[in-house]
Amino acid sequence: MTEKDYNESVLLYADNVYRFIVKNLRHTEDAEDIVQSAFEKLWIHKDNVEPLKAKSYLFTVAYHLLIDHTRKANRITLQESFENDSQTAYQENKALKKVLHDALATLNETQRSLVLLKDYEGYSYEEIGEITKLTTDQVRVYLHRARLKLRSYLISPQQVL
Amino acid sequence: MQNISLHNYQDFLLRYIDGELDLRETEALLAFVALHPAIAEELETLQLTKLDIEVITCPNKAVLYKNIFPVIVEPATIVYPHKQKLFKKEKEKAPVILLKWWAVGAAAVFLFMMVRYGMLDQKAASTLSKNSISKNKVSTVPTLSVIKNNPTINNSIPNNPTVNTGSMAAAKVVTDIKNNTPNTIEYAAAQNIEHQSMPTASMVTARETAQNMPSYNGDIIDVKPTVIAEITVPSMPGNDEITEIIETIDTEAASSNRSVMVGAFEIDKDKFRGLFRKANALFKNKENNRNEK
Repeated sequence: MTEKDYNESVLLYADNVYRFIVKNLRHTEDAEDIVQSAFEKLWIHKDNVEPLKAKSYLFTVAYHLLIDHTRKANRITLQESFENDSQTAYQENKALKKVLHDALATLNETQRSLVLLKDYEGYSYEEIGEITKLTTDQVRVYLHRARLKLRSYLISPQQVL
Repeated sequence: MQNISLHNYQDFLLRYIDGELDLRETEALLAFVALHPAIAEELETLQLTKLDIEVITCPNKAVLYKNIFPVIVEPATIVYPHKQKLFKKEKEKAPVILLKWWAVGAAAVFLFMMVRYGMLDQKAASTLSKNSISKNKVSTVPTLSVIKNNPTINNSIPNNPTVNTGSMAAAKVVTDIKNNTPNTIEYAAAQNIEHQSMPTASMVTARETAQNMPSYNGDIIDVKPTVIAEITVPSMPGNDEITEIIETIDTEAASSNRSVMVGAFEIDKDKFRGLFRKANALFKNKENNRNEK
């Protein structure tokens, strides 16, 4: 891809990648860092990336950066501080949305990423499999498990009340 | 297509939520759900798990662009401080004088003559001085011709006022002649040697001088210089013609002093100078014409 293609990718996909990351991490600064790293990697390898696969490449890179970041965060147990930071936390407007995003937080990184990639980006199972390096059946199974878990969270007695 | 049943309907529901069913599967599922109200309620709760698309904008998207706003850096104006030293002014070329072959040949001949003359002149001067000194010691006069039967030339030499000047060698010769037999033409030649600064010219041209003498009509006997000292002429005092002859010899000697012997040719120095001046003037005229052009 050329420089022009790269800049078009920024224009078209930066928001999507950012949304995917920030919904996963619920931390804007970290999400920005990951997005920036993802596009930097695209710029470095732009000669080897076709323009039509730029979005998939970006989500793949962002997903793996997300996994790396989450694992590091889990090791240093900063998850709670992220959640309690009112300035960096993603603000929920509606109650349902807030419950749903709380439910998302109960999922593991893979399940959450699969849900986000499916619902936000509209990727197929195959495409999600390419991004996450999973098979189509794995994507389908993991995603179904995530949906059922979310539903269980939503219909739990605490949420109903 | 797999048939939808109570055992596998959940997979169809989840694939429906994910949008992975084709049209036929979708129609079949909706028909199945219509037949089972509990499954329809379950479908509604599953639809709640589907995330609504939110518009979230990346806050620092501008930093992701590459070279989209290239900064034009103006080239720095670096001035070399010693530029004045680098300027050069082309020197005026010396005018080229094209010489023709004949001019070159003439110059070569002239140079050859000059070199030759210079060598001959120096040799002649040195040999003459040596010969005159050595031969006068044995009372011989280095003249070439003797005039016979001419009494007019006798006894005039002692009264010649020109005897008082001359070189030391010539004075010695004159003294020797006076002591022995001064009344000869050789004495006049010796007198000429004494008078002139270049005795060789008078010696060489003694024969021509004798021929040009106005008062002389006799024969010229070319005699070797060694013989001359033996010939004596009785002195005849009061003869005026001898004075005239000597003056003539002196004049000839003076004129011969202005001439140059180049091999067998005698060339006047004044003519050479004239040639030089003409050649010089020609070159100057050519040069002026070129400058004017």
